[in-house]
Amino acid sequence: MSVIAVYNIKGGVGKTATSVNLSYLSACQGNKTLLCDMDSQGSATYYFRIRPARKFNTRKLLKGGKHIDRNIRGTDYPGLDLLPADFSYRNIDIALDDLKKSKRRISRILKPLREEYDHIFLDCPPNVTLLSENIFHAADRILVPLIPTTLSHLALQQLLEFLDEIGQERAKVLVFFSMVEKRKKMHGEMMRLLQDEPGVLPCAIPFLADVEKMGIYRQPVAAMLPGSAAAESYRRLWDAICGELEKS
Amino acid sequence: MQELQQDTRCLPESVEMQALIDALADTFAVEIEGAREHVTTWYDTFDWRLYNRGYLLRYSDRHWHLLEYRTGEAVVVARAGAGKKRLFARELPRGRLRSLLAPVLDVRALLLLVSLGSVDTRVRILNRDQKTTVFVEFSRQQVRGTDTVLRTVRLVPVRGYDKALRAVRAFFDDQGVVEQVPPFHTFEQGVQAVGRRPGDYSSRFAVRLDPDLTSRQAAITIYRRLLDTMQVNEEGILRDLDSEFLHDFRVAIRRTRSGLAQMKKVLPADITATMKEEFAYLGRITGPVRDLDVYLLYEHDYRARLPEQLQEGLGSFFADLAEQRRLEQKKLVRALRSPRYRQIVTGWDEYLRSDDPTPSADADKPVIDLARRIIHRRFRRLLKDGLAIGADSPDEDLHRLRIQGKKLRYSLEFFRSLFPEQEMDTVIRQLKRLQNNLGDFNDLSVQQEMLTRYLHGLRPGSRKNMELAAAIGGLLTNLFHEQHRVRERFGKTFARFSSRKNVALFKKLFH
Repeated sequence: MSVIAVYNIKGGVGKTATSVNLSYLSACQGNKTLLCDMDSQGSATYYFRIRPARKFNTRKLLKGGKHIDRNIRGTDYPGLDLLPADFSYRNIDIALDDLKKSKRRISRILKPLREEYDHIFLDCPPNVTLLSENIFHAADRILVPLIPTTLSHLALQQLLEFLDEIGQERAKVLVFFSMVEKRKKMHGEMMRLLQDEPGVLPCAIPFLADVEKMGIYRQPVAAMLPGSAAAESYRRLWDAICGELEKS
Repeated sequence: MQELQQDTRCLPESVEMQALIDALADTFAVEIEGAREHVTTWYDTFDWRLYNRGYLLRYSDRHWHLLEYRTGEAVVVARAGAGKKRLFARELPRGRLRSLLAPVLDVRALLLLVSLGSVDTRVRILNRDQKTTVFVEFSRQQVRGTDTVLRTVRLVPVRGYDKALRAVRAFFDDQGVVEQVPPFHTFEQGVQAVGRRPGDYSSRFAVRLDPDLTSRQAAITIYRRLLDTMQVNEEGILRDLDSEFLHDFRVAIRRTRSGLAQMKKVLPADITATMKEEFAYLGRITGPVRDLDVYLLYEHDYRARLPEQLQEGLGSFFADLAEQRRLEQKKLVRALRSPRYRQIVTGWDEYLRSDDPTPSADADKPVIDLARRIIHRRFRRLLKDGLAIGADSPDEDLHRLRIQGKKLRYSLEFFRSLFPEQEMDTVIRQLKRLQNNLGDFNDLSVQQEMLTRYLHGLRPGSRKNMELAAAIGGLLTNLFHEQHRVRERFGKTFARFSSRKNVALFKKLFH
């Protein structure tokens, strides 16, 4: 059993595409898998053609238990469930701040779900907030999609320093390269520079139109185009993550 | 959550599958996926070890699926190469499947029970977002090698879409597709179509005797059951599927011989005498392969008994045994295909069906009297011989006592159903404990004799034989010490068996 948070301080780095495809691949192997869409934009929810129930919102999420149980939805793929996001999540920090033990709330909510699922993925919103801090506590692994640029590298450093600050181990972090463009010289150089750093997986998801198109056909690319280069690169990434999970 | 249970229904003869799919498409927004053909194969051991533990094992789409019998839910799914007709636990893919099944299967092989070729059509019920809310799986399965066709529809719910599920259920109710079947429906039907029934074989001897039967009627029932056991195991021996077919076959032979000896005045004297000889012959022709099977099964144990530097030498020893077994198995197959064997089995079969009018001293006596007399006599004998054994008694005395114990055990099992169940369980459990001790002692003797014989046959000189001799020497020492320990435990074990309480129980039941 493991909770994997897909996170980056920056937006638009392929977090949702990663969460959607990896959770799908996990379920394909017979693992009961839950994807929690924590981002108020609800992109993962949209990709799976799911609409949250009208009554579901931040308050219900933070109550946990049966309030969550009732709102989990099955996707079109056996073994893969989704907890939809709600637009009210945009104010989740304010709600968290009012609670006792505000940094452990998400851990607590996930506890019963850990019994039910083999893998739980958290698709996280960007930014460093109280919610992210909650997620870092709750996650066994923090998976960081990294576009190989200088600024992204800087963001990664910020994340690691933040983890130090809140007393979380850096070893939780797994990095892979995302939206990689072969023709960009800087991408290649950054990757060479970082490849031997601890926690950096030898995997790259190329910048591919097939991934972008997920918004049109609303399915994981690994399900829609299982033979595509995009699907193959996600499979390789998932294998590498499984290897890391087995180590711990 | 109750509502999320899967729902499998049988299609009535009158309903045409395509018409039903069309009607479904007229009622709901659907996506019909292309028909998919695949083969599902079910496995179990000959004695249903998986079924008895509430499991089902299926091979399909290049994966093993270990399912829970009652719910049909997967316990383990493991990727594998092609499924075979027969395989042992060690041939299963490494991982949870193997570690779960190895202790259950032990030395028994998984056998292909039945294959079903199916054509599946999956229909997805969609909502306004084109999101799947229910899966409807139509399946037409043909039992390979038969005319049996099974047609089912399975409703697979999607979490959080209960309303859609209720609507689809109502649709099928309206169409008259109402007969729900359990998840193991196709398994049971398939197995039945090839002439078997789950749990139809067990190596335990069990026969229900009516206390009003005459001794002759009871004896015939017992012999009949034993002959059936021999016959159902024949094919497995000829095809050499696993070692237990021959083992069960031989146990049935021994039981029959023991029955003939103990119920000697029940059948006419000439029949008893002839059959005793015939069954002794069957014991002889099946002996060598069984002995070698037993030795071969020791391989793991022998390696564990030796330090690593001596283990190497055992390689050629077991290779030799395997080669010997191959030759003996050939001889055995020839013997079982010979006219003599056929004659014995059909002759006995015909006799058991016939109504032999020849009188015999005990034939018409009530079986309950016969049972008491035999068991009581056997028990007294065992008690007397056992009590006479002291620390200095020769090993032969223990070997003889083991035979006595076996005879008592067989007679208890023959007549078990005539006596109160719980007390019989106690009596047999007590005896079993004693038998285990004597059995271990005997096994260790037999092994030492076998190894000594083998050692004497070795020619010195080569390095290989030297290593082999060293390994056997190591084993002999180890086995000798263990036998000594087993012997030391005998006194205590027998004291327990001959306790006042146990003797009183025997007297109460059989005197």
